[in-house]
Amino acid sequence: MKIKAQISMVMNLDKCIGCHTCSIACKNVWTNRQGAEYMYFNNVETKPGTGYPKHWENQAKWKGGWELKDGKLQLRSGSKSERLLKLFYHPEQPEMDDYYEPWTYDYESLLSSKRKKHQPVARPRSLITQKRMEIKWGPNWEDDLADGESVRQDINLKNMAGEITMEFHDLFMKYLPRVCNHCLNPACVAACPSGAIYKREEDGVVLVSQDGCRGWRHCIPACPYKKVYFNWKTNKAEKCIFCFPRLENGLPTICTDTCVGRLRYMGVLLYDMDKVKEAASEPEAGNIYHSVLDILLDPHDPAVIEAARKEGIPANWLEAAQHSPVYRLIKEWKIALPLHAEYRTLPMVWYVPPLSPITRRMEADVYLPEVHDMRIPLAYLAELFGAGNTGVVAQSLQKLLDMRLVMRCQETGEEIPQRLAEDVVVYKDMYRLLAIAKYKDRCNIPAGISAKSQDKLRELQGTCGYNCPGGC
Amino acid sequence: MKGFLYGVLPYIASTILVGGTIVRYAYFERNWTTKSSEFLSKRDSKWGNPLFHLGLLMAFGGHFVGVLVPKFVTEMGGTDEHTYHLMSLIGGIPAGILFLGGFWLLLKRRFAGSDRMKVNTSQLDRWLYLVLLITLASGMLGTLSNIPGAFDYRETISPWFRSVLMLHPDVSLMDEVPIVFQLHMVSWMLLAMLFPFTRLVHCLSLPFEYFWRRDIIYRRK
Repeated sequence: MKIKAQISMVMNLDKCIGCHTCSIACKNVWTNRQGAEYMYFNNVETKPGTGYPKHWENQAKWKGGWELKDGKLQLRSGSKSERLLKLFYHPEQPEMDDYYEPWTYDYESLLSSKRKKHQPVARPRSLITQKRMEIKWGPNWEDDLADGESVRQDINLKNMAGEITMEFHDLFMKYLPRVCNHCLNPACVAACPSGAIYKREEDGVVLVSQDGCRGWRHCIPACPYKKVYFNWKTNKAEKCIFCFPRLENGLPTICTDTCVGRLRYMGVLLYDMDKVKEAASEPEAGNIYHSVLDILLDPHDPAVIEAARKEGIPANWLEAAQHSPVYRLIKEWKIALPLHAEYRTLPMVWYVPPLSPITRRMEADVYLPEVHDMRIPLAYLAELFGAGNTGVVAQSLQKLLDMRLVMRCQETGEEIPQRLAEDVVVYKDMYRLLAIAKYKDRCNIPAGISAKSQDKLRELQGTCGYNCPGGC
Repeated sequence: MKGFLYGVLPYIASTILVGGTIVRYAYFERNWTTKSSEFLSKRDSKWGNPLFHLGLLMAFGGHFVGVLVPKFVTEMGGTDEHTYHLMSLIGGIPAGILFLGGFWLLLKRRFAGSDRMKVNTSQLDRWLYLVLLITLASGMLGTLSNIPGAFDYRETISPWFRSVLMLHPDVSLMDEVPIVFQLHMVSWMLLAMLFPFTRLVHCLSLPFEYFWRRDIIYRRK
């Protein structure tokens, strides 16, 4: 057992209103500069939809993530030598048009225009060529199902066994905020020929070394979530950094901090690093979720605590792991699920699937619906969060419904049914964390990796002389 | 003039090449990159790029043998002048065609292709492409004009190059060299001087270590 700590995030999709505050905060902090204008480390997509970049989920096109070849885990883009041949030309690399061409407007013309019969207009101008351009696509073109035709191209709809026509009577939608998943088995790291991308030992944040990056650009198609971007100005790869300067100071990421729906939760998970590959190699895609849960360790288990101490995980990190809101949502209550677990990268940003209005035919009869009567088809949610396994999604949705039932019974004085999967106390805790939790309860980030060196300093108390923490 | 071109310039060029590269790697690694433009435009990249690099590798191999291996060594190996010349043509002409053909496609996509390519083309890049074109064209023209084999560069240019390497340049060896070969000499020296400041440095970063490193890299802060 080799224990590592991972900062993880859970998003409760029930509460996402698609306001894009997270995206704008992130953009203003990290990507509002030349070469990065088109990048959204955090973006919010309307699902169904093809997303950003277009069709990012279609791995037949990008060959992103991992696959099992003769039972062995391998990058979908092929063997190492096959991939090195793509150094010269990479057929699966996305182009700017797969995202969109960034633009500004000629605002100046509003001020300098002569008196005219019609209002002056500010026409769009490309931020790449500096020429006038026609806007054909943007980072959020499909917002609220805006582009009906492209919405029907959603690969998850196509993968579903049932027929979903997206005609008016069965229309549904939900929001999906996305950041880098800071995976346990990141494909971008494995694909980088220069070894410039790495996972930080202390908190699991996946970073691109801007010195080490040589611009071979293999990380971009390799990431199945398309969350590594190519900066056309510096000619190096960039990605979401999980706001690590904030994490180091005990603060959650800026997207979490600014979320008006308060739907993001952040905290520490402990996992067994030795079993990561095994979990990612689970033969049945629908079971990867369970094999990931198996390598997330119980922070209250004395054996785990002992092993974590041996690994050098600081005391305040262990404490944070024991009071981790994400651990409760993911492992204790099992209501948070990984996005597209079938990519086998073991993503560490998790989602509580959304409940949705019940279908019209059920509306008249019941107050709380069954999970199968939801407007968003269970099979669709299973494509996103269950690797096709409807069971795990149904289980999560049922708990969310039961939580509402328990809280309703408490108000009305009705008797709570016996069939519930969990104890009543659990549902009440769930309610507290999901509905009314304060900032400190939603985010428990142990202050800084520097805390480790402070521990070391304390150990050195009383010894002779003065030494560097970590022994430099 | 010849004394400067063949006695002094090689040392200036190699100093800039080595010194500039070391300084860039040590102090400016953050801008050490392939400067890939595939993100901006894929047009003509599919064939142009692999052809160019394949031609380059072949040409590099040919130059290595032709310039660094003294004539008496190949002759001791039983290769007479005629056979050697024939072999150099059989290898060299296809290499040149691939090299120039690929380069033509790359020039086309950069200067006559997508408008977006402009943000990937600096002023220095324009100079680089010009000098590279002159080097390639003069090399190809030299090979083609010398098909009859009247001029033996292995008795002039190659010994001169080796004399430069031995820090004892013999400029007189370059007296009878045809003008097109002289152009080739000057332009490769210019190219060497441009090397540290352009995208060319990426050839030093060929990621061979990728073959023996583990998949997932963990690193401490």
